[in-house]
Amino acid sequence: MVSADAVFEVRGLGKTYGSGPSAVHALKGVDLDLFAGELVVLLGASGSGKSTLLNLLGGLDLPSAGRLTYRGWDLAGADEAGLTRYRRDVVGFVFQFYNLIPSLTARENVALITEIARDPMAPEEALKLVGLEARMDHFPAQLSGGEQQRVAIARAIAKRPQVLLCDEPTGALDLKTGMIVLEAIERINRELGTLTAIITHNAVIADMADRVLHLSDGRLDREHRNDRRAAVDALAW
Amino acid sequence: MDHLDLKLLRDLRALKSQVLAVALVMACGLAMMIMTRSLIRSLDAARDDYYARHRFGHVFSSLQRAPLEVADRLAAIPGVAAVEPGVARPVTLDLPGRLEPASGLIRSLPDRREPRLGRLFVRAGRLPEAQGGLEVAVSEAFAEANGLRPGARLAALLNGRRVELRVCGVALSPEYVFEAPPGAALPDNRTFGVFWMRETELAEAFNLKGAFDTVALALGPGADERAVIADVDRVLAPWGGLGAYGRGDHPSDTRVSDEIGVLRGLSFGFPLVFLSVAAFMTNAVLGRQIALQREQIAILKAFGFSDRAVALHFVKFALVIVLLGAALGAAGGWLLGRKLVVMYHLFFRFPALEFLPAWGALGAALAASTFAALAGALGVVRRVVRLTPAEAMRPEPPEDFRPSPLERLGPARRAGISVRMALRNLSRRPWRAALTVAALALATGILVVPNAFRDGIAHVLDFQWDALQRQTAIVAFNEEASPRALSDVRQLPGVTEAEPFRSVPVELSAGARTRRLAVQGLPANARLQRVIDSHQRPLAPAAHGLLMSKVLGESLGVAAGDTVMMRVLDGRRAEVAVRVAGFSEDFAGIAAHMELDALNRLIGEGDRVSGVFVVVASARWPDFLRAVKETPAASRVVIKEAMRRSFRETTAQSIGLIQTIYLVFATTVAFGIVYNSARISLSERQRELATLRVLGFGRGEVAGVLVAELVLLALVALPAGLLVGSGFAKTILAAVNTETVRLPLVLTAANYAFAASVVAAATALSLWFACRRLDRLDLVGVLKARD
Repeated sequence: MVSADAVFEVRGLGKTYGSGPSAVHALKGVDLDLFAGELVVLLGASGSGKSTLLNLLGGLDLPSAGRLTYRGWDLAGADEAGLTRYRRDVVGFVFQFYNLIPSLTARENVALITEIARDPMAPEEALKLVGLEARMDHFPAQLSGGEQQRVAIARAIAKRPQVLLCDEPTGALDLKTGMIVLEAIERINRELGTLTAIITHNAVIADMADRVLHLSDGRLDREHRNDRRAAVDALAW
Repeated sequence: MDHLDLKLLRDLRALKSQVLAVALVMACGLAMMIMTRSLIRSLDAARDDYYARHRFGHVFSSLQRAPLEVADRLAAIPGVAAVEPGVARPVTLDLPGRLEPASGLIRSLPDRREPRLGRLFVRAGRLPEAQGGLEVAVSEAFAEANGLRPGARLAALLNGRRVELRVCGVALSPEYVFEAPPGAALPDNRTFGVFWMRETELAEAFNLKGAFDTVALALGPGADERAVIADVDRVLAPWGGLGAYGRGDHPSDTRVSDEIGVLRGLSFGFPLVFLSVAAFMTNAVLGRQIALQREQIAILKAFGFSDRAVALHFVKFALVIVLLGAALGAAGGWLLGRKLVVMYHLFFRFPALEFLPAWGALGAALAASTFAALAGALGVVRRVVRLTPAEAMRPEPPEDFRPSPLERLGPARRAGISVRMALRNLSRRPWRAALTVAALALATGILVVPNAFRDGIAHVLDFQWDALQRQTAIVAFNEEASPRALSDVRQLPGVTEAEPFRSVPVELSAGARTRRLAVQGLPANARLQRVIDSHQRPLAPAAHGLLMSKVLGESLGVAAGDTVMMRVLDGRRAEVAVRVAGFSEDFAGIAAHMELDALNRLIGEGDRVSGVFVVVASARWPDFLRAVKETPAASRVVIKEAMRRSFRETTAQSIGLIQTIYLVFATTVAFGIVYNSARISLSERQRELATLRVLGFGRGEVAGVLVAELVLLALVALPAGLLVGSGFAKTILAAVNTETVRLPLVLTAANYAFAASVVAAATALSLWFACRRLDRLDLVGVLKARD
């Protein structure tokens, strides 16, 4: 499932917020390759730099130092329009707080993205993949937290992204609901072969990954590879 | 300053552009209030002072001629405190360096004393000497328009005799604050003026020695004006009295009073509307502020701040807006008032028309805007008080949406997603949407008004001068002349067509209603002066009845076929019954026409004419003008084109300024309301918009989602505003129209297009300003934060 082509090549990546004595060095020279189809979990304490790394990978921000390429596309030197195109065509995002548009139904929240994507699946198909075919015409306020998060996943994968980036996708959910969401993410990764990166501070989730990256104090502290990905229902909560 | 106030200051600074937008809308209302109140005060004070110092009469009458002893009988009428008889006669002038003749009224001044009533104010030079040899004082407006100074000389035809008058001074009279030819809607200072000459000289010129043909009376305290008017009419009836009238019907005083009336209406209506919009905006800004500061409010309450203290904190926010609005409004009102006072100089002549700021109105303005702001803040503050600390600590529950009612109708179901989002957002807050539409419609509406005025005036002028008056000039005679005078005029160089008319002052009565006016007699086949019905079809002057203007018919309460009594006010005072033959369209107000021969037969003085309408070949125009100046019988020559040009200039100047003011106000409201709405919407939907950016929407696409809502509202507001504006124009015209000045409601596509495009441009500009903030959207920060 995991191919040898590096999708992302990260060399000496650094990110500094502010300047002078108040400068915060969120990332301090990270080297990393991410490969097509793999499921990666980024672990680390608050302030370790994992969210900063994800934001840079997702084209939400520009690095202060180092090299960052997506399939040879230089993201570190991209302009605003380039980053917008990158986010539109390549990346799917899932956030801790879902960030659905409250005035649109589940189907419409997904359709919003399929309208602008190059080769999307039907919104209904995406919602079916996350098991929400029965709730498609509900507004966010009428859905539970887990359901809202699954709509967010459907929205992220409906455009058949090359990369799926999930920032604490279960952070606001209870255990049972969190498992349903993780199952949805794992299934997407497995069936569509989408390179998937999940940020979490919950070490248990690491067992479902191909590879686990540990960040601490802005550096890639260590990484390890699981021999076998654990099924979500087998995670030892 | 406590720390809560420090927080207030910082909050205000963070929202400075929104605070300014609300304050500016408020300032528009206050500026209008202070400007109109100040103008009323200025006009009132100037008028009262002028009338008192210069002894403006209370009752006035013109007559054929009466011996001076009759004035003593007028003085004996109970309630009359003073009588000033005099002579007032038409005059034709030949101004140096001017081809066209000018006309005017020449009035007498007592030989060796100050007039008891209607004293002159001398602006330059001096009053004429008793034996000065044809010295005249000239009215200021005419002197200015024609560049006349003391020492100038002008040739005039006095009672058919050509004389040279010497200008010894420039003067003003309380009787001519508004100085216009009889019946004219606007002054024409180049071609019409008033002149004063010593009594003996003037009386001699017109064979009126020991006689008078005009009189003014002052009333004592508690006198009954109506009783005095009836007595004056009785005394003057044998002397061809043309009907006495009080100040309420005085052609100059009514124009000043009408203007004050219009200002009074504006001083109330305008601020009401603007302050309502400002109240709504205050409510929206504060409402959003409280939603953003839920947790802060909870903390304050949890740490022991009372509900009162927290509520007061937000009330103060509103009061700062009031103070800012009041300061801007007071300054704006003061500046605009000073400019408009200068414009009044075009219409009204006072010895001094100083701008008197009505600072008293500032108190009222402050009270009104405080009320408006507090009304806007009330609901919001109530929400603050109700919020318990524990509840406030929790985030607000997610917003509940449902498909908008419009979507159920069908077509909107197929609308794009951003349109659907906009529709649902709007239907969640229908009041906010309705008030935004109302404010934008208001902005559009007030822009329609000045152009409706301009188009109405243009229509009247075109109608009056193209459809009705097909002559090049009118030559009016001193005295009613025999038909020979008509053939004399026909002989003038260049005259290709000539048609006589007769103008007879009459009193028409139907039951208890009476009206005084001049009936005009025209030839049966009149071509140069036409009477037209409401469909612009020519009506032939009737041989056996009167054609009345619609206003006159309404005023007398008669229908076609009814009979009215017509009493001739000069000559033999004949009284005859006349049938109403039909109604004509005439924007100049009350008018009645009859076939010339029939009129002459009815009055029984043989064939008489008052003047001639002429068409002059343009190549011989200068010859015609030269010749007409030398024609003794001609007392007044009215040149259509000159009058038209002068009217155009006057309206362009006055309406131009008013239009600028309305334009500024409308743009401010449109800009303020749209900017404010966009900012609030941006704040409320920050998260949504950031999500869209993260999901790959471009900046323009996200801006599209933000503005779709306001664009939809503007699309509803613009046509509604045109309707509202048409209503404004109709109401204001109805208030301004009098019997003598009647403007029709003319609404053109160009007017609508102008109003709509100004508001659309202001909307677009403010949306652009608001959208620039999208660039500063912190994508990551917004998404990480909890709502």
